[in-house]
Amino acid sequence: MVAILSVLLMVIDANFSTLKPVRSTAGLVLTPLYWVAELPVRAFDNLNQVFTSRTEILTENEKLRAETLLIKRRLQKLALLTEQNLRLRELLNSSALFEEQVLAAELLGVDPNPQIHKMVIDKGSQHGVYLGQPVLDARGVVGQVVEVMPFSARVLLMTDATHSLPVQVTRNGLRAIASGTGNPDIIELRYITDVADIKEGDLLITSGMGQRFPAGYPVAVVTNVVRGTGQPFATVQAVPMAALNRSRYFLLVFGEGHNPQSEAHAEQLNDSEQNKTTKDMQKLEAPTKKTKQEQTEVSGAEQ
Amino acid sequence: MSATRITFVVFVGLSLVAALVLSVAPLPDFMQTARPLWLALMLSYWVFELPYNFKISLAWVFGLAQDVLYGTYFGFHALFLAFVVYAVLSFQQRLKMFPQWQQAIFLMLIYSIGQIFLLWLNALAGNHTLVSQYILPALVSGLLWPWVYMIMRLLRKLVQL
Repeated sequence: MVAILSVLLMVIDANFSTLKPVRSTAGLVLTPLYWVAELPVRAFDNLNQVFTSRTEILTENEKLRAETLLIKRRLQKLALLTEQNLRLRELLNSSALFEEQVLAAELLGVDPNPQIHKMVIDKGSQHGVYLGQPVLDARGVVGQVVEVMPFSARVLLMTDATHSLPVQVTRNGLRAIASGTGNPDIIELRYITDVADIKEGDLLITSGMGQRFPAGYPVAVVTNVVRGTGQPFATVQAVPMAALNRSRYFLLVFGEGHNPQSEAHAEQLNDSEQNKTTKDMQKLEAPTKKTKQEQTEVSGAEQ
Repeated sequence: MSATRITFVVFVGLSLVAALVLSVAPLPDFMQTARPLWLALMLSYWVFELPYNFKISLAWVFGLAQDVLYGTYFGFHALFLAFVVYAVLSFQQRLKMFPQWQQAIFLMLIYSIGQIFLLWLNALAGNHTLVSQYILPALVSGLLWPWVYMIMRLLRKLVQL
């Protein structure tokens, strides 16, 4: 009896979406268990923080300060480049860049099965998370959301054997598909011809094809290219940029038509679109003056 | 419901929830492939000790909970746990007579058979899997049986059940 019921449930769950609401409510009740299971890790982290010495904190502080300075410097340049890019795009009459919103999320737990690369994060449909949403960390693409529960979501990592994403080589724009291998440190580029211009050290970024991942985020660095004359395609392996099995904090990127529900957590990467265009208009009139002014503003803020 | 009955239900519930938590607890990488089947162990213990108070449907419900936690299709682990409980129930009288190491080996066998079902289902679901990854947990769980038995005995004495 029970066996028949189980098989029936599996078939229904695999082929139809009727059981999705049941799963999401059950998930609401059961995700706290993930939280409980991670408690010892958390407690250890907290203890570590409590017992770090003053000097250690001071050195870390100094390091972080130096890092922010570096990042701020880069940001100054970025503002300039974004403006330039926008202006050039306007000249070319191409569509405006879409402003992406992001939401920070924390890791709740990872899938106990080592062959399946999935993890649970602490943001769900109540925060506006949707199916297929791209997930990043500080260094690059992590994966995408495959299951949404009210206060948590399950993320499929890009190293899972069932995951593929469209990428592009930054050096020459060569497009390819990066597939997971089941190995947490390696992804593979499929269907790269033997004569294709790709070599070790090439940076792969998302190409924006397939409409799921926004274009331009770093994905991986090519580490190994094997060209065999007996094979139709070259074997290309790459190491993910993101710290897939070490990061605790992730960024959920909201695509066009999606918005984070809690505005308090959300932060826009740039100003809103209208703001930008009006600014840009001004800039077209007096470009040099404006950028100089902005630069002084930034440096003033730094001091 | 009498007071002892309530403590009994709470105790059993807590032990099973604890097993659920353990089954998603973070482990070091080399241990991941040999994660013990905590829920199966716990259910085997209860069925082994009190065969008349437990039904297969309880195992099935907890299996569904595990399916939600693991993100597998509904009925996946439910079927596995139902099978384990059914097997332990039907051999319970004989198992009682065995010395503990033989019980452990017997349970290893039952878990391995159950895990092979899971392996097949996983392959049907299109996941990439290794056979060792399904047999190792069964072996480790079998080895853990004497300890689980002892600890549960102790805990039950503590709450006087």
